Amino acid sequence: MDAPLSPVTLPVDDNINPYAFCVDLQGEWFLHKGKMIAYYGQMRFEALTVASVSALVAAHFSSPLYADDWVVATGVGKLVLGDRGFDINSYDLDDGNLTVRAANLLAFETRLELLQSIVPGFLTLLGTGKFLASSNGPVIFAEPPIRVDPEALVGWADCPSPSYHYDGHWMTQNLVGLLRGAIGIVSGEERQFDFTGAGTVLIQSSEKTMADPAALRMMEQQITALSQAEKVHLHRFLGAQLTQ
Amino acid sequence: MARFRKNGSRIVEVDLAGESVKSLAGAMIAYEGEISFKKAGFGGGEGIRGAIKRKATGESLDLMECTGTGTVYFAHDATEIELVPLAGETLQVESSSLLALDSGLKTNVTFTGLRGASAGQGLFTTTVSGNGVVAVLSDGPAISLEVAPQYPLVVDPDAYVASKGQLTQSFVTDVSWRSAIGKGSGEAFSLRFDGSGVVLIQPAER
Amino acid sequence: MPGYVQVNSKVVQVPVAPGREVLARRGAMLAYTGQVTFRPVTAAQGISGMLGRAVAGETVKQMVAEGSGQVFYGHLGLHLTVIDLTPGESLQVEADRLLCHDASLTSSVLFLGQQGGIRGAVRGAVSGQGLFTTQLAGDGSAVVLAHGGAIGLQVTPGRVVAVDPQAYVGHRGQLSVDVTAKVGWREAVGRGSGEAIQLRVQGQGVVYVQASEQKF
Repeated sequence: MDAPLSPVTLPVDDNINPYAFCVDLQGEWFLHKGKMIAYYGQMRFEALTVASVSALVAAHFSSPLYADDWVVATGVGKLVLGDRGFDINSYDLDDGNLTVRAANLLAFETRLELLQSIVPGFLTLLGTGKFLASSNGPVIFAEPPIRVDPEALVGWADCPSPSYHYDGHWMTQNLVGLLRGAIGIVSGEERQFDFTGAGTVLIQSSEKTMADPAALRMMEQQITALSQAEKVHLHRFLGAQLTQ
Repeated sequence: MARFRKNGSRIVEVDLAGESVKSLAGAMIAYEGEISFKKAGFGGGEGIRGAIKRKATGESLDLMECTGTGTVYFAHDATEIELVPLAGETLQVESSSLLALDSGLKTNVTFTGLRGASAGQGLFTTTVSGNGVVAVLSDGPAISLEVAPQYPLVVDPDAYVASKGQLTQSFVTDVSWRSAIGKGSGEAFSLRFDGSGVVLIQPAER
Repeated sequence: MPGYVQVNSKVVQVPVAPGREVLARRGAMLAYTGQVTFRPVTAAQGISGMLGRAVAGETVKQMVAEGSGQVFYGHLGLHLTVIDLTPGESLQVEADRLLCHDASLTSSVLFLGQQGGIRGAVRGAVSGQGLFTTQLAGDGSAVVLAHGGAIGLQVTPGRVVAVDPQAYVGHRGQLSVDVTAKVGWREAVGRGSGEAIQLRVQGQGVVYVQASEQKF
């Protein structure tokens, strides 16, 4: 057993081990719910809807879809974060931007600004400051050109948003079936995110991603844009899927 | 005394020269030499009273005893293992976090307090005391945090693994903590430790 | 010839080139660089062992990676062990635990009844993987999955290792694997009948054991 850590010996804004991180809280941080595992000192956790943090939220948290999953930690002390034993990395942005899978984002300094990426399930951080993200296994940093299984993607920085690449052999074999909607895409070998240009791509060691409740909310929001006939069609489609 | 040694962070090897070691039933993954296995009586040698207490409190402990000469390899569900040496001390540990222990150590069930101020539901934990080594399971490498009178510690109950020392434990149910836990998951209270001692936590929520 | 590079405990980087194709379980590709295509492997392709696997009802589908580039493989965050085989050596592994291997390795499905008679057959049944394991032989590399990582235990004449069937990953070398019902074991463990069985491994080689009793 290692010597026990105390508020004096815990690291300052650094990893305790690959799977736990200590934030030296002096003010405010945005925090993904359920990710703090212990703390020393005086701190409070406020929902984003609370009046005392509304100005902060308005200026730095531009994603209503995810607002329910986040809180603001306020106070002074040492805050220990963990995420299901996943690896935790901290990233320092210097007037930069990085887009990360929403379910992998754990916490960020309130100096940074959060935006919702055009790619579903991803959030973009802008500005200067520190943020924390988790991954299943250590993150691999790669440079484009590279093609990544969508589920193994943690995020990307500086390069253009990805486009889809479909395996040519798979396309010729399955295009007819695909157009009829008879088959779905089942594995990363058939469809990948294609990254080009200059930048960095973050890949995690597993294609098993964390659940993202916002993905469902996003789909629900999009359904409101459908016509009555389209909704009936969707209803039938879902019915057929459920009985399969 | 049985010799405990980690092989990597998720497997513990115990060398036996005629002694015995108690472990979570079914946690043996391999062994060499002449080793015999038997069920460790009621609740791991606590007698019938202990068994009744465990049944009443829900702190179940299904242990087996391995005796002989050779090496036994233990692991459980790919979780990390922490070896905690005890020198006449008492370790409080969740029964689900116990992997193996020197057979000379005593286990018991103790009352740790009430969940919340008004609910009145009792909480119980397993204690291990004596001289020897306890192999404790944690989901991700365990972190040991010191508690002193000038710095009490607040812990997510889902991340709590074990504790030792002169500690008083209380359950804090404040609105602020509740707002910080995910919907439908996690406990609606946090654990607060005051006094002097060490608390072991894991970097994952159960 | 550059070999397999273990990027971290859960990811392996594998070179693909003409004449150096790689077989992997479907869905295990994480990313790739270069010009690589992926094609499902069926019995008709005539890759040794595939027909046997189809007959055996083996459900692990494989993709062959062809072309020229580097492919990253991983699966469900499970730990990996890279095993390099030299000519004349063979590796026996439960099919579900095989992540990828050089297509140049000869792969065959072993019916455990051939190795140890009815007792061998029992072994496949108790470890919950059916009656078939994959045997790889030749010159090349294979990557094996293990929950929590695998350790290799040396087996030498006179040093017999007993293994929990749930924790058994695979073995290499000149080994015989026997099923034994250890007296007292079933009672000590107090679980289903499968747990009453141990695998006794003897001979000369290495048996791989994972840090978990979990199947995947």
